[in-house]
Amino acid sequence: MKLNNKIGYLLILPAMIFVMIFSLWPVFQSATYSLFDYQLNDQTKSRLSISNQYNLELFQETNRYLNFYLDSEKETATLEQSKEKIDALLQKINAYETDILSNYGEEKVVKISEDEKNDLEAFAQTVIQSINEIYALNDEGFAIEEDVLAVTGGYDSSMIKPNFIGLNNYKQALKDTRVRTALLNTLVFTFFSISLELVFGILLALIMNKAMFGRGLIRSLSLIPWAIPTVVSALIWLYLYNGSSGVVAMIFSKIGLISKPTDLLLTSTAAMGAVILADVWKTTPYMALLLLAGLQTIPNTVYEASAVDGAHKLQQFFRITLPMLKPSILVALLFRTLDAFRVFDLIYVLTGGGPGGKTETISIYAYKAMFAQTKFGYGSALTIIIALCVAIICYFYIKVLNVDISSRE
Amino acid sequence: MKKIISVLMLAILVLGVVGCGAKKEEEIKEVPVTNDETTEITKTKITIGFQADPVGGIQKVIDAFETEYPQYEVEFANMTNDSAQMHDQLLNSLSSGSGEYDVIAMDVVWAGEFAAAGYLEPVDTLLMDQGWKTSDFNAGSMASGKYQGKNYALPFFPDLGFLYYRKDIVSPEDAAKLEAGTYTWEDLLAMSEKYVGQNETTYGFVYQSKQYEGLICNLNEFSKNWTDVKGGLETMNAFVNSNATPEDILVYTEGETHAAFTNKEAVFARNWPYMYGMAVADDSPIVIDEVGLAPLPNGGTVGGWLIGLNKNTDNLQGAKDFATFLAGDSGQRIYSSSNASLPGMNSLLTDAGIIEANTLLSNEGFKLALTNTIARPVVANYQEVSDQIQVAAHAYLSGSKTLEDAVTEIESALQ
Amino acid sequence: MKKLMTNKNLTKAFSIFIIFYLIVIVFPFIWVLVTSFKPESEIWGKSALKLISENPTLDHYRALAQNNVLRGIKNSFIVASLTTIYVTVISIFAGYALARLQFRGKNFVLTLVLAVSMFPQMIVVGPIYNMFNELGWTNSYNIIFPYSMISLPVAIYILVTHFKKIPFTLEESAKIDGATPMQTLLKIVTPLALPGIFTSAIITFIGVWNEYVLSLTLNTDLSFHTAPVAISFLRGQFEIFWGQVTAAAVVVTIPTLIIVLLFQRQIISGLTSGALKE
Repeated sequence: MKLNNKIGYLLILPAMIFVMIFSLWPVFQSATYSLFDYQLNDQTKSRLSISNQYNLELFQETNRYLNFYLDSEKETATLEQSKEKIDALLQKINAYETDILSNYGEEKVVKISEDEKNDLEAFAQTVIQSINEIYALNDEGFAIEEDVLAVTGGYDSSMIKPNFIGLNNYKQALKDTRVRTALLNTLVFTFFSISLELVFGILLALIMNKAMFGRGLIRSLSLIPWAIPTVVSALIWLYLYNGSSGVVAMIFSKIGLISKPTDLLLTSTAAMGAVILADVWKTTPYMALLLLAGLQTIPNTVYEASAVDGAHKLQQFFRITLPMLKPSILVALLFRTLDAFRVFDLIYVLTGGGPGGKTETISIYAYKAMFAQTKFGYGSALTIIIALCVAIICYFYIKVLNVDISSRE
Repeated sequence: MKKIISVLMLAILVLGVVGCGAKKEEEIKEVPVTNDETTEITKTKITIGFQADPVGGIQKVIDAFETEYPQYEVEFANMTNDSAQMHDQLLNSLSSGSGEYDVIAMDVVWAGEFAAAGYLEPVDTLLMDQGWKTSDFNAGSMASGKYQGKNYALPFFPDLGFLYYRKDIVSPEDAAKLEAGTYTWEDLLAMSEKYVGQNETTYGFVYQSKQYEGLICNLNEFSKNWTDVKGGLETMNAFVNSNATPEDILVYTEGETHAAFTNKEAVFARNWPYMYGMAVADDSPIVIDEVGLAPLPNGGTVGGWLIGLNKNTDNLQGAKDFATFLAGDSGQRIYSSSNASLPGMNSLLTDAGIIEANTLLSNEGFKLALTNTIARPVVANYQEVSDQIQVAAHAYLSGSKTLEDAVTEIESALQ
Repeated sequence: MKKLMTNKNLTKAFSIFIIFYLIVIVFPFIWVLVTSFKPESEIWGKSALKLISENPTLDHYRALAQNNVLRGIKNSFIVASLTTIYVTVISIFAGYALARLQFRGKNFVLTLVLAVSMFPQMIVVGPIYNMFNELGWTNSYNIIFPYSMISLPVAIYILVTHFKKIPFTLEESAKIDGATPMQTLLKIVTPLALPGIFTSAIITFIGVWNEYVLSLTLNTDLSFHTAPVAISFLRGQFEIFWGQVTAAAVVVTIPTLIIVLLFQRQIISGLTSGALKE
């Protein structure tokens, strides 16, 4: 067939632009972040830097405070010697600051060379040394030694060192027991919810395929759990699971599944079970509809032939339905596995990862690392690990189970 | 030609969508300008990022401020009531270097983190300009706002944990012991087990030990300010296993606690001052004569909220003026009377007008509790430390981790 | 004889199963609906498990007007509609090219689109957040652009499937008449593919309507919260307002219910034809 390169590219261009900017570029960014010790709530690590930088604003603030505190110490000091020493130190600090500022303009954070870095560090050292000497005088008038020493910490905080750390975030993640627990939780959640959804999904699909009462109604109802926001369904279940007024928690404890209603979200096994149940409720209908589409492609003649051979319904199911449904099952499983592996909203709202981190999945840990602890570098490394797991899952399905996803129709 | 037209149409559509987004933003930024011919004052807008305040004290402070400083117009950016969400929201805004909020309210445990991150403007010059000393304010709050020798916050309203007990149940001897603060956690456990069931109570002692920040506050108190983590955890566990605490004590937050105590289901409760306000309220099942207050055995955790100045504000003077007003005599007077909260300024603690509006301040047991407060760690990575301690402690209390492992994890987190 | 028994039993088992299933699906909604009319005092304690409220009240629904939920629904509508419009237009072009035209790198593009649909969403949240901060795009409707990540691949896949179903002969005759591929797409293929386009639009709309993480992270200001975020924020410092949450859940479910009842067929066709995310 004739190649339509130009028009083809033109037509996919808008889509590609969006994919590039909002999907691919962020992924590369995440990969980059993961190589840095990048933390938003630490002044010395709040940007990616591969060169030395200096925070002049904080440097000035530190000097201002030293002037302020040491002046107040001078006023109350009793020894002439301490007053002289303080004056000398402050003069030195102010002269140095004027000198530094004349080199750089108005900028708050400046790039510095290795020599300049050493020079600034040496200066900080001498200031701290002089302060120690001053306090070694044991002047009775001194009152705020602790504050003065604490303020000198500002010099350290002004120095922004390169925070490229190679694969250290990944090394740390491999050692982090919380990552291991989170991965295990994710796998447990994925395995059990998918298995249950598959069994119930097949059953449901078989039923929907039989022309029975209220077929349209069943279909519409089935779509609702899937179509409402996950957050809303999570909140609904959170209410039903509530230890003191939740009806589901009450029923479960009455029939002996749990010993008391509050155990449902409080003990690790029950909480995981509760989360899985909520997921099964929400996605089984979706699974069933996917499988139903597969069922409808099996021609009736095949069944008629086997009925003539005397096979009963169960035999028919295992000999005909299941093998012929296999491609649909595998595709549905692939997509559900990926969804379950990336689960976030449901668990984030339902348990927040509790109790004691027993339902914390890897996505939740990554989000918390980034946005509650603002460790963007480490969190990004975790998201890359999720992506790698997802890639492995896809590889497994496509290569090992031979799922054909490109020609689905 | 058609090709070009369709590409153009697409471009217009995309731009149109961008335009919609941008236009919306403009609309919101627009400040209504009053074209009054007589007064030609252009008001400067100050935006404050504070938690939602259903009682309304903060709005009263704003009104008073706007009357006294007609050059300003204060916009109250109502944030969520959920403090974990509010933390992340503020962090998001501040870390982007935005001057969206000029003045912010912070939970005491955020100040160290925000200061270390360089988001806050120190308040030392403000203190100096006003002639204020740090000792004029609540000590625990000021300590929470101090980082690297600089003060970064003023008290908005301090909070502290203390013990509530049922006066109609506890014997006068025991009550005297409680109010004097000369009892231990073990004594409290024994008393809880002794009194539970009397006067139709179901629980001896209720407190907070769900996996959240409240668990840290409680463990701080149980562990003598982290000096005895092992002993603290063991005592907590003894409470969990006791019949005198609710079966689901491990999901208790302040909400469950105040529900149990104000509905007269519990003999003892550990909570913040706000529960006193609930007990005083007319529609409360418990009457205030039945409520006694006492310090906790090892001191009460300092909580509450601070006021901070955004370093990236475009209007530092306005921010300072508002913060000064709110933390100062007039603002504290209004807020404390309206919301029955503790004033952050020490001089107001003995002020007759405030005491009248807030009877809590005249209670002897409470006054003693005020003198014995303990703070949570002031560290830059507080959220992380807190998270690790919460997980380890809750895992131990719910039986999925050994005491030794939990202690090791908590102590290494505190390093 | 034995065979007949089995078949009859199976049918019976099926019927029981379907009734049980319907109860399980519907029960949470009923319960939430019931709770939303209970006064706060009946939500907790002894009357918590009663089906019918003793003093039914509309307070929680009235509260929705004061809290942020109604505005959240409005925002969700705006964001979901805008995203649906631009994503659908872009996907029509891309879907047609991928279904009908031959060009170098086509398989690569198809693989890329499929791969994007499999990315964990968490991986883009951090960088997109930084990007929005730098551009000053936080707290605006610009959030529709990163929504392309969750909806574009799905929409393209659905449309590729539908375009492939349209008989070739019509296009062939158009080509013979001298129409350019662009004219063929706009005048002949698009009208024929309208059901497919509609399906893709609905699936996109629902996907965006339900999105949580990006909305939570990028639009922190209350006035830009979408419905899911607004509902998850219905809590005080010390408790969750169950009355308001259940009322909000009912209100948010209604539009979904209407869409599902009206467009059941299209949604199912979309579900079964695209590489679909939750």
